[in-house]
Amino acid sequence: MAEDTFLADDLLRQLMSVGEVDLLVGISSHGNAIAVSQAVHAIEQSFQQEFIRQRVVIVHVDGGDNDGDGAAAAGLSALAEKDVRLPGRASLRTVHRVKADFSSPPSPGIALHTILAAADLLRARACAVISTATSNLTPGGIANLLRPVYQGKFDFVAPLYTRHKYQGLLARNLLYPMSRAVFGCGIRELYSDEWGFSGRLAALCLNQNVWHEEAIRARPEAWMAISAISSEFRCCQAFLGQKSQSTKGSGTDIVEALRQTVGNLFWCLECRQSWWLDCDKSEPVPTIGPDHELTSEPSDLNRHRIFEMFRSGVTELEPILSSILDPETHAEIKSIASLEEQTFRFRSDLWVRTLYDFAASYHHAVINRDHLVQALAPLYRGMTYSFLVAHSDSSPDEMEAESEMLCVEFERQKPYLRERWKANVEVKS
Amino acid sequence: MRQTILQALEQAYSNLVHMIAEFLPRFLVMLIIIVLGLLVAFVLKHILRALLGLTKLDRVSEQAGASRVLRMAALPSMTELLSRSVFWVTWSGFVLVGLSILGVPGLQEQISRLFRFLPEVFIAILILFLGLVTANFLSRTALLAVVNAGHPSPRIFSWSIRFVICILAISMALEELGLARQTVISAFSIVFGALMLALAIAFGLGGQDLARKSLQRYLGDTKKEKDKEPQPL
Amino acid sequence: MALQKDNLWYKDAVIYQLHVRTFCDSNADGIGDFAGLTQRLDYLRELGITAIWLLPFYPSPLRDDGYDISDYTAVHPSYGSLEDFKTFLTAAHTRGIRIIIDMVLNHTSDQHPWFQEARSSRENPKRHWYVWSDTDTGYQGVRIIFLDTETSNWAWDNISKSYYWHRFFSHQPDLNFDNPGVLEALWEVMEFWLNLGVDGLRLDAVPYLVEREGTSCENLPETHAIIHDLRKRLDLLYPGRMLLAEANQSPADVRAYFGNGDEFHAAFHFPLMPRMFMAVKLEDRKPIMEVLEQTPEIPDTCQWCIFLRNHDELTLEMVTDIERSYMYDEYAMDKTMRINRGIRRRLAPMMGNDRRQIELLNGLLMSMPGTPIVYYGDEIGMGDNIYLGDRNGVRTPMQWNGGTNAGFSMADPERLYSPVISNAVYGYQAINVDSQRRSEHSLLRWMKSLIQVRNASQVFSRGSIHFLNPSNHRALAYMRQFGEETVLVVNNLSSSAQAVELDVQRYRGYIPIEMFGRNLFPRFGERPYLLTLGPYQFYWFRLRRI
Repeated sequence: MAEDTFLADDLLRQLMSVGEVDLLVGISSHGNAIAVSQAVHAIEQSFQQEFIRQRVVIVHVDGGDNDGDGAAAAGLSALAEKDVRLPGRASLRTVHRVKADFSSPPSPGIALHTILAAADLLRARACAVISTATSNLTPGGIANLLRPVYQGKFDFVAPLYTRHKYQGLLARNLLYPMSRAVFGCGIRELYSDEWGFSGRLAALCLNQNVWHEEAIRARPEAWMAISAISSEFRCCQAFLGQKSQSTKGSGTDIVEALRQTVGNLFWCLECRQSWWLDCDKSEPVPTIGPDHELTSEPSDLNRHRIFEMFRSGVTELEPILSSILDPETHAEIKSIASLEEQTFRFRSDLWVRTLYDFAASYHHAVINRDHLVQALAPLYRGMTYSFLVAHSDSSPDEMEAESEMLCVEFERQKPYLRERWKANVEVKS
Repeated sequence: MRQTILQALEQAYSNLVHMIAEFLPRFLVMLIIIVLGLLVAFVLKHILRALLGLTKLDRVSEQAGASRVLRMAALPSMTELLSRSVFWVTWSGFVLVGLSILGVPGLQEQISRLFRFLPEVFIAILILFLGLVTANFLSRTALLAVVNAGHPSPRIFSWSIRFVICILAISMALEELGLARQTVISAFSIVFGALMLALAIAFGLGGQDLARKSLQRYLGDTKKEKDKEPQPL
Repeated sequence: MALQKDNLWYKDAVIYQLHVRTFCDSNADGIGDFAGLTQRLDYLRELGITAIWLLPFYPSPLRDDGYDISDYTAVHPSYGSLEDFKTFLTAAHTRGIRIIIDMVLNHTSDQHPWFQEARSSRENPKRHWYVWSDTDTGYQGVRIIFLDTETSNWAWDNISKSYYWHRFFSHQPDLNFDNPGVLEALWEVMEFWLNLGVDGLRLDAVPYLVEREGTSCENLPETHAIIHDLRKRLDLLYPGRMLLAEANQSPADVRAYFGNGDEFHAAFHFPLMPRMFMAVKLEDRKPIMEVLEQTPEIPDTCQWCIFLRNHDELTLEMVTDIERSYMYDEYAMDKTMRINRGIRRRLAPMMGNDRRQIELLNGLLMSMPGTPIVYYGDEIGMGDNIYLGDRNGVRTPMQWNGGTNAGFSMADPERLYSPVISNAVYGYQAINVDSQRRSEHSLLRWMKSLIQVRNASQVFSRGSIHFLNPSNHRALAYMRQFGEETVLVVNNLSSSAQAVELDVQRYRGYIPIEMFGRNLFPRFGERPYLLTLGPYQFYWFRLRRI
């Protein structure tokens, strides 16, 4: 139904009025009027500061009801319309706000689909998608996403953030190195709430027949980045400042995070296999602005519990793991799981092999794919524990060097992935 | 006396010859029908396989997840499964028709009973198959959920689920076949009730801590949990 | 067709702005004159304009295009005699054309006898007709207008060994309006011309008449008092004559010059003009809407005068820095096209000689609230010569035909006060009155019909304006209403075809009649009225309820 109505007559009429634009910023919300108003405010400030001459539009994909805060929403949007003008810096042009209403909250994929359709119809040159959950995105940050594209140099802009050293470990230990090794393009934040892209990339993605896929509906951004990489579009990363953690959503729920990211990455591997199986390149991605930064603050992580969950997971999930992992890998994991907590280390080569086994098993669908991704959680915890122990006193530079070594390990073992990927289907369960 | 014996032998012989003379053509007809059936089934199997290949059934079943279920049950692909079934059903039909031609007394009745019973057998097998697949799937779901939530004794939980569903499937299958109806239903009720009671007691008395943790999780009091693990994203 | 008696004539006028020197030379001296202008009056009547605003034609050293006057009550010999002027005035009036002349109150030329006397000694009775000081530190912080040429508002007079105050060029000393003699002398000058029969006076540089320490020396209450006084005298002795203010200020500041209908009759709307150009380039109605929203109401007897281009640079004083840099980048990439804080170009070259854009801008000019002023030559799409100094590039001879000197003069080309435009695109062989008169679809013919349609009704000159806000920002749509008459104007500011949905609920049941072809359009109904417009197209609809 949503696909049928995502370009409703009303939206089309609004788009007609907007006409061709230079810049498009899309936001998706679930009726949170305050967050929307803040995001719109930041976007309009960004337009006024950086793109005063450009034709701009804000596409707001909204679902859900504003019952509770309807009045607040009306008040805030009125406020936003009046007060966004900076002294002496009004945009020369009409800033349009297009609203696409859905009866129920649209999934990120449907929201992006709508935004891409709008971008294509409006022939936008540079676009960005902003999350309403990210409360601290500055006007400068939004401009950083748009500028590299608008200046015609890049087609995809991934964000970079200042992070706490123990934040984003999934990206650091899995998503970034694995996607870099497989797709040959080192985008650090493949899964993020905001990113920028060009009109031509929008058109390319819009015309792909993937929008019904569950993976795309949940997390479309990595697929978009990978589409850009595999279609030889130019990608870069832009620094956006401090990463804020959304209050709702995945948070610390590792299984949900794995489902949304690792499951999605495996799915991307699957749908782009014809490309990456023959691809051997690995190119650094240009970074605009300062490189990502790490801050260290005292943390109260419960390492012991993490280790226990790893160990019990390996034991309890043995039959499942044995169907996923190569026997040799499985044996090694069992042997490290039997180590004492003090001597336990998850070696990077084993970690890489484990992940490649998982990816290949996902490809061969040896068990239910969702189960497969869930089965990774204890092993990820093991890796996390190992990382926390190894880097309790590390400086950002040391962590960076370690991260780079992990990337190299992933790249080194890529032939193993290829081999397992192409192997005949083994039915084990 | 001798005359009587000879007469009887002659009678028996002529009866035998008569029987053989009567049986042989029927046997031959039966053989012809069976061979013909084999040929027809073989041709049907290949036609169906080609047709299914053209309709890309395997891709559809892969997308629908049916192939995964089949693979987990160590069964061949959907196309193969269907075409083989058609082969066997067709051929066994011919075989049975052939057998009935022999005119063996009682056999005919048995065969017609078998024909009437066949659908129920099929349904029972299907129920069992689906039950096993579901049991496997749900027990693994439970296992993963419990392991990843860090709760104790995940295997018992997973095994219980598998057990209950298997029992359910078996009792449904037997029910379908009409065998020992009362016994099966009572047995299932007793086992299921006992299991639930055991779980309730275990969860309520033995697993107070577990129950508290679970409730905390489901009611959204995740503050304590949050501090324990680093943010993945 | 004699003049009609109507004291509010300036509200319905279509004014044609010209300089005698540039229009037509009757005596082959290379300089236009009143006799030549008189000969060309029929052309102007044919065009449909109802008033002429003459730039200064007084005796002058001509260091500021005649705004440096050295004798207020005579005609510069190059342009003819006072008798020629009288003949011209009568001829214009018989054709129903009124005459507005330029009157410079703020300053004189340093060659004016008043200044010569004033500088001759510190004791001279005329000494205090000007503003003198022993230092150049007075009135600190007052802005300098001609930034490109002047560094201070004070200039040293070597004769009387003191500084004199000037807001414009240093050869234009400011008169001292604190001296009552000055006002009386200037009123005598005004009476002189009003007695001859001129219909209106355009008072130059009005905001700067009076200086006060610690102020910006602009728009002071004392200045308003002087205007008020002049208006009182004019109403008493010369009813039906008008005063037009040149005050390059924000609409709110200019509003003060209308007083309660007891200061100026009319004033230029400076901020609107650059925003019309900006709106077309941005393809967005926002700049126009914003400036009109900021424009205050004015008394019923008063009128704004609006224009596209004039003899000065396209002034960008009344826009923000961001808007100015945008205008420069879009309309004057070549730095020689810029002067002071503006762009010294004519309409047609600024529009890239795009007939559709020129028509759209003229359509806006004629349909917006105010009295439109057409700068000479723009009705045929004349070009400019940015390589002539100062603003002379937009003051080249009028192009009458493809003959010698564009039909402007029979003098040798070298003798002309300024070379005629002769490039391939805008040269007089290509762009001239004669050829456009003969061509049915020329800009000139089109301008005639535009002015004719405008003049046919008072709805444009006196009507109220109500903006429709279609969601398509490329469309500028407004209702003009006067009495029973309602006109809908819809403009497409963009270079591509547009669909516009207009909310005309209030006019449900009305039939729109396109005013140029008088064709009927579908009746306004319940639903938003859908119009499609081609690139830069505009519609004027008279709404009728039948």
